[in-house]
Amino acid sequence: MKALAEVLGKWEAVIGLEIHTELTTLETKMFCGCRISRDDPPNTNVCPVCLGMPGALPVPNRKAIESIVMAGIATNCEIMRRSMFYRKHYFYPDMAKNFQTTQGPVAFAMHGHLDLEVDGQGAGERPVWEDVAGDGQKPIVRADDGSYVVPIRIQRIHMEEDAAKMVHVGGSEGRIGGARESLLDYNRCGAPLIELVTEPDLRTPEEARLFMEQLRKVFCTLGISDCSLERGSMRCDGNVSLRRRGAAGLGTKTELKNLNSLRSLHDALAYEICRQAEVLEAGDSVRQETRHWEPSRRRTVVMRVKEVSDDYRFFPDPDLAPFDLSDEFVERCRARVPELPDAKRDRYMAVWGLRRREAVRLAADPDIASFFEGTAKLVEAAVVPTLANVMVNLVAGCKDLTRPQVAAVARLLADDAITFAQAREVLEMVDGTDADPEAIVDERGLRQATDVRALGAIVDEVLARCEDQVRQYHGGNRKVVGFLVGQCMRASGGSGNPKLFNQLLVQRLEE
Amino acid sequence: MSLSRQDVAAIADYARIGLTDAELDAMTSYMNDAIALLDPILEYDIAGVEPTYHPIGDLANVARDDAAAVGLSLQEALTNVPDSQGGYVRVPAILGEGGAS
Amino acid sequence: MTGALDGFSVRQIARGVAAGDFSATEVARASLDAIARRDGEVQAFQQTTEELALAAAGEVDAARAAGKTLPPLAGVPVAFKDNMNLVGTRTTCASRMLASYESAYTATCVQRMLDAGAVPVGKLNMDEFAFGSTTDSSAFHSTNNPWDLTRVPGGSSGGSAAAVASGEVAVALGSDTGGSIRQPAALCGVVGMKPTYGVVSRYGVVAFGSSLDQVGPLGRRVEDVAAALNALTAGGRDRHDAMSQDCAQDYLAHLDDSVEGRTVGVIPALLEAAGLAAEVRTAMRDAEERLAGQGVRVVEVDLPNMASSIAAYYVIASCEAFSNLARFDGVRYGYQEPGHATLARQTSRSRALGFGAEAKRRQMLGAYLLSSEAYDRYYLAAQKVRTLITADYRRAFAQVDAILLPTSPTPAWRHGEISDPAALYLADIYTISNNIVGNCGISVPVCLGSQSGLPIGAQLQGPAFADARLLTLARALERASDMEGRVAPAFAGRGGELA
Repeated sequence: MKALAEVLGKWEAVIGLEIHTELTTLETKMFCGCRISRDDPPNTNVCPVCLGMPGALPVPNRKAIESIVMAGIATNCEIMRRSMFYRKHYFYPDMAKNFQTTQGPVAFAMHGHLDLEVDGQGAGERPVWEDVAGDGQKPIVRADDGSYVVPIRIQRIHMEEDAAKMVHVGGSEGRIGGARESLLDYNRCGAPLIELVTEPDLRTPEEARLFMEQLRKVFCTLGISDCSLERGSMRCDGNVSLRRRGAAGLGTKTELKNLNSLRSLHDALAYEICRQAEVLEAGDSVRQETRHWEPSRRRTVVMRVKEVSDDYRFFPDPDLAPFDLSDEFVERCRARVPELPDAKRDRYMAVWGLRRREAVRLAADPDIASFFEGTAKLVEAAVVPTLANVMVNLVAGCKDLTRPQVAAVARLLADDAITFAQAREVLEMVDGTDADPEAIVDERGLRQATDVRALGAIVDEVLARCEDQVRQYHGGNRKVVGFLVGQCMRASGGSGNPKLFNQLLVQRLEE
Repeated sequence: MSLSRQDVAAIADYARIGLTDAELDAMTSYMNDAIALLDPILEYDIAGVEPTYHPIGDLANVARDDAAAVGLSLQEALTNVPDSQGGYVRVPAILGEGGAS
Repeated sequence: MTGALDGFSVRQIARGVAAGDFSATEVARASLDAIARRDGEVQAFQQTTEELALAAAGEVDAARAAGKTLPPLAGVPVAFKDNMNLVGTRTTCASRMLASYESAYTATCVQRMLDAGAVPVGKLNMDEFAFGSTTDSSAFHSTNNPWDLTRVPGGSSGGSAAAVASGEVAVALGSDTGGSIRQPAALCGVVGMKPTYGVVSRYGVVAFGSSLDQVGPLGRRVEDVAAALNALTAGGRDRHDAMSQDCAQDYLAHLDDSVEGRTVGVIPALLEAAGLAAEVRTAMRDAEERLAGQGVRVVEVDLPNMASSIAAYYVIASCEAFSNLARFDGVRYGYQEPGHATLARQTSRSRALGFGAEAKRRQMLGAYLLSSEAYDRYYLAAQKVRTLITADYRRAFAQVDAILLPTSPTPAWRHGEISDPAALYLADIYTISNNIVGNCGISVPVCLGSQSGLPIGAQLQGPAFADARLLTLARALERASDMEGRVAPAFAGRGGELA
């Protein structure tokens, strides 16, 4: 098969995502008081409502509505004041009522967008000729390094209920095809789920990957879910079709399932784009079907062919009153939306002058961001950029550090009392203990010597034996100081402060 | 507008109601008779009329607190399950002949 | 105070138990004895619950012995339509699908009756899943009208009406989706009330048409029905039913208020309709006069869209029924035909064999009407016609306190006499518009038919949440009749002695 870059040079990939997020941080399910559980024995978090027993009735979880409204606000959606729950009917044993309670044409949140920042290698996936956003209007401006920002429109985010978990027995790799029987655990049935549907504005697998990554950051920051892809708290389906470069209509799409990591999402789309190109270039047509990504074999395989569109017999759920969200309700949700990663990044850059790369990393994860900001309070503002450097490059590998420990190390590094390599060493030593980094540094004699008299003696000794370099300096070669600092460091056994050596050397040489 | 035998068979397939040939004939004629009884509502000019889905007109925003309640024990949950195994509810092959939808 | 239990009102039983005239256990035994002696002919019951009854009665007696104040229905025997869940019973909906289904929880309406001290003596026959107006579509057996055993008791709450009419229980609960409480009440000569939608919780009552269903009481007196409504609404709204409203009040308090100056509407055209039995017409004219005789102003009103209510009802009810019955697939409960290699086949066969003919017809019709090709034409249109019917009623209730109309166009007919489903649908004309708009309605026996000698019921419909006022008018109608407290003559006093 051809490489992605070659295919995307000729074909335009049109990609849309459907992302389900389980609101795992809530106490109870969407329409009943059962706890949301993950590891309980099968069918032990169930009740008449989520088991669909005759006569049971749903009552919506108010906090789930708050969560979806917050999700809508955080993704620049319009919050639809009046909406209803609908019933979506199809016979499938993981739905206890054989219909799913979901939303109709109007969802709680609609018409939003996220801006994607695409840089590095990933930016190269999008051919230059496609530099217009998915709405066909906004031009995309690239920076000198090829990076660009593209808005991805969100069609809607609606509220629904999750299905039961199934274990398929007797087929290969636990898949449903070929299974002899299936076992059902209704613990997850009825868990609150929000489904976000994008417009087909994504053009490369990298953009799809980044969208998912960014949405994950936003939802993590909101605290509405644990956002684990691995455990299925966030699940993504991808729709992709190809069209000739410059063509206006849409090609036949396929739907991709089992994209349970960011990497799978990227690689499955890349595979599928190349596969479709091959089909089309052979003069065949793409069939509308659902395909399953097999990560081990790095390919997609057919799950189900869709010949006619399904008729789900949608109608408004008569058991559930409409929602008519008040200004007060929406404003209360808005007030609960914390600062989002992009805003946080901008603030870090503006307030402390952090580099963009570090600001992005710190702002992405709410726990890291809160640790960082808490630690920043313990140090002088001038030390914060060093702290950011420590957090991004050193702290990530550690398990259990306290804020004062990290603050102390950042301060030592900023004061040039230790080197970067020593900072790593110290953090590893105090990790998981309540030891004070300053004490460790002193105890182990790690602190770089700052005694001017002792260092002065070393400087004098080095200058005395490096006559050549002294001559070069006086001849105008100022760079030679670096060599002399190295000589001083070696003479001090690495314990001298290189900045001080530098100062002392220049002083002596200028005397 | 009348429903053919095939139309009715497709609805029965969707609604998971297995009908014998004779039942399908009877059902087809019932369906067409029943639909004919609905004619009166086709005679209305209802453009601009809002539908009433819920009889208590102004009721809205009914919701509950996110607080856990006691549910069923495993034994209670499985009491009426015809076919269970190790705490799970068992079903035969979901995909397969006639079941791939 | 002693005698046959069927001569007592609900309040008389509760007062007698509280005063120690007889024990709750004696009352329970009397009711169970009446059932044993009468139900072989009436066949109102699906199951009797002697153990539950004696346990509940024992609790009442123990509470009294401990000097506690007894709840308002202490010791009153009650039975429930078999679509109401009660732990310790099967809830069959008179369907093969649920023949062995054991309730895992108790319906709110049932629980509230028990909380009021009522004693559960059994579960009552019905049309399968409440689809019907004869009780003949029960998968297990028919129920016979206590006034003439060759005739139907009406339906779908036919067991509830027959058990009350035969004096087996003092009060029963039914459910009404298109007349299923009021029509059997009329055919069996008892009082049956469909409260306003939202007054009584539907939680735990197997759903037929979710926007139409309402639970209500049947009794031999308006007073008995009001006493039951007190229990059903005590405690306010049910947090398990999102549609339920807080309607707790004392519905007995104003029963005997004067109705002088009240206004009742009549619709003359309805009394001229083809298919209305002459004796029903006569009974309705008498009812008008009896109300007028108590100072009620009788005026003409019009409900121009009422004729379309049957069509609108059949669309809405079938669509909701299809959806509500989809869950019966034999996986988590219900009839499962074993031996199928694929789930789709197992489900299709289980549903084919588990459901009776009418249940299948309604679901098929609903599945069609909700399909994308029919949705706008029928479903959406029906919900818009519903808006027009609602507006008709609103206009009428701006002028009148209630509307008086027949409950059923004829008294009870013979088993098998009407077999055409379409003809049966049309017999619901007087009751179903009330469900479409969610208002309250009540059927009160007003006389025995001049030709048939069978009971005839008059219906009063009132605006939403004016249930108490409707009961006052119903009581006025009852007061002027000689039907109050009547037990079907063949059964009155047969067994069920309170020693």
